[in-house]
Amino acid sequence: MEFLSRRTRRRLQGAPFYLLLILATVITLVPIIWVFASALKSNKEIRENALALPQEWRFQNYIDAWFGASFDAYFFNSIFITVTSVGLVLILSSLAAYSFAKMRFRGNQLLFFIFLFGMAFPLSAKLGPLLSLMYELNLANSRFGLILVYVAGSLPFAILMLRAFFQGFPQELEDSASLDGCSRFQFYLRILLPLSKPSLMALGIFVFMGTWNEFFQALLLINEDSKRTLPLGLTAFQDEYFTDFALSFAGINITAVPVIIVYIMFQRNLIEGITVGSLK
Amino acid sequence: MAQTLSAAGKRSHNPRFRLDLIPYLFILPAVVIYVVFNLGPVLASFFLSFFKWDLLAPTTEFIGFRHYDFILNDDRFWNALSHNFIFLGLAVVIPVSMGLILAVFIYEIGWGRVFFRAALFLPAIFSGVVIAYVWKWIYHPFAGVLNPTLELIGLGAFTQSWLGNPKIALYSTFIAYTWASFGYSMVIFLAGLQDISTDIFDAARVDGADFRQKLFYITIPCLYDVFTFVITLRIFTAMGVFGVIYILTGGGPFYSSDVIDIYVFRMIGNFEMGWATAAATVNTVVVVFISTGFIKWREWRSWSS
Repeated sequence: MEFLSRRTRRRLQGAPFYLLLILATVITLVPIIWVFASALKSNKEIRENALALPQEWRFQNYIDAWFGASFDAYFFNSIFITVTSVGLVLILSSLAAYSFAKMRFRGNQLLFFIFLFGMAFPLSAKLGPLLSLMYELNLANSRFGLILVYVAGSLPFAILMLRAFFQGFPQELEDSASLDGCSRFQFYLRILLPLSKPSLMALGIFVFMGTWNEFFQALLLINEDSKRTLPLGLTAFQDEYFTDFALSFAGINITAVPVIIVYIMFQRNLIEGITVGSLK
Repeated sequence: MAQTLSAAGKRSHNPRFRLDLIPYLFILPAVVIYVVFNLGPVLASFFLSFFKWDLLAPTTEFIGFRHYDFILNDDRFWNALSHNFIFLGLAVVIPVSMGLILAVFIYEIGWGRVFFRAALFLPAIFSGVVIAYVWKWIYHPFAGVLNPTLELIGLGAFTQSWLGNPKIALYSTFIAYTWASFGYSMVIFLAGLQDISTDIFDAARVDGADFRQKLFYITIPCLYDVFTFVITLRIFTAMGVFGVIYILTGGGPFYSSDVIDIYVFRMIGNFEMGWATAAATVNTVVVVFISTGFIKWREWRSWSS
């Protein structure tokens, strides 16, 4: 091996890692590829040979799935609920985190602890009273009600993450801004938020994914077809078309593709959102 | 008297004692939404589990531990909780070690890190609903891909009804859960690895440490706090598993894959809110006990060593 350059030798040493990683990637991605391939097959092909690739690509399955079920409504509901929730979480958590990180006031520690407290509970701990509360407030079976529940669920993590980030800001920045006659709200709006864009982005994508994918609370609170989100709609669709294999596969893909697109576009932000929260 | 007056006078002139409302105003909207729609229902669930319920509405009739009496004597409650424990035991080992190994491999290679990280994390971005339906079709008796694959590679003896066999349904759902969760452990471990100073690895290489030695004597000890976090995350997801099982088996067949969140959900669906809140409270106590106990143990161990 002496005749090989040092660089080549080091690369060869990495070869087993590459092989194992390629193997792991193939095993991980095969189910996804298979679901995509099956959505292009006819029912007969699926039944006769589940493993084969489609003989001809039947995009008709997607069209049938989209128009056969109310996927347009589910899609719109998911977009509306998720975007509104993310916006509200970013506004409310950045305001609160600024106060917790940079202002001195009585009860700062206690109030922050109350927010942290909410992260210690499993989801099922609140479901019963939440359902009766939502009926009481006329917010059951309402997109707006679901948004409030999602925002309330995301706030503890969001405040924890942004507070840690804001604490890293130098105090001099705020002092000089206030000397120039900048109020605290102006400082928040004009200086703090623009400087925090990467963190807000990471948090936003993280909350986007969590909200877009949420199922348990939506299942509990929404029971009208026109108000279903995509995950809920997919369950209704699968219950209805479980004998129509090809349409079922197409339905799964319609639900999965938007997430894949967002993931490809914002992969770095998402992973930052996951890891920043964990390593602080 | 004079003293208190002057103290009070001083106080009103001292700007430090003037009540500054702005910090509270900034927090107020978040607190209101959080308390009404998150913390409030959690606390209410605890208190109202001691009261009689009338369908969806709590009544003022205090009945003590009667709901708990039912729950704690219900075999299905313990059955469901025991399945969460099986999930927990498997989840803190399998997805976590898969995530660690893959993170170490990705860290070791030079070119292609971003690609492998992105590709291996992909299943973790999906809703539990999508994950469940992907696996429901993989396991499907006619259209599925698992049984034909096993036959193809000569393991035809292992083909079976993956979700219909009460002995293995729970483990079939665990495989779907693992597929969707090892990526989380992986990216967190990878971030932790990149935080370790490369000097340590360089020194180890100079000293002739092999891959195994580096893994056990440097990587794993250096990732102590990351391990604590990754495992705590698994505790919460394993104790709160819902969507994947709800769709794959609905807790069946014969409650063989029932878990606590499905149990609670079923109780709510039957308008048995008293039982649902009592079961949720017991579960909460168990989860908080396990997670804080685990974190305290890890802190104590890192202090004492």
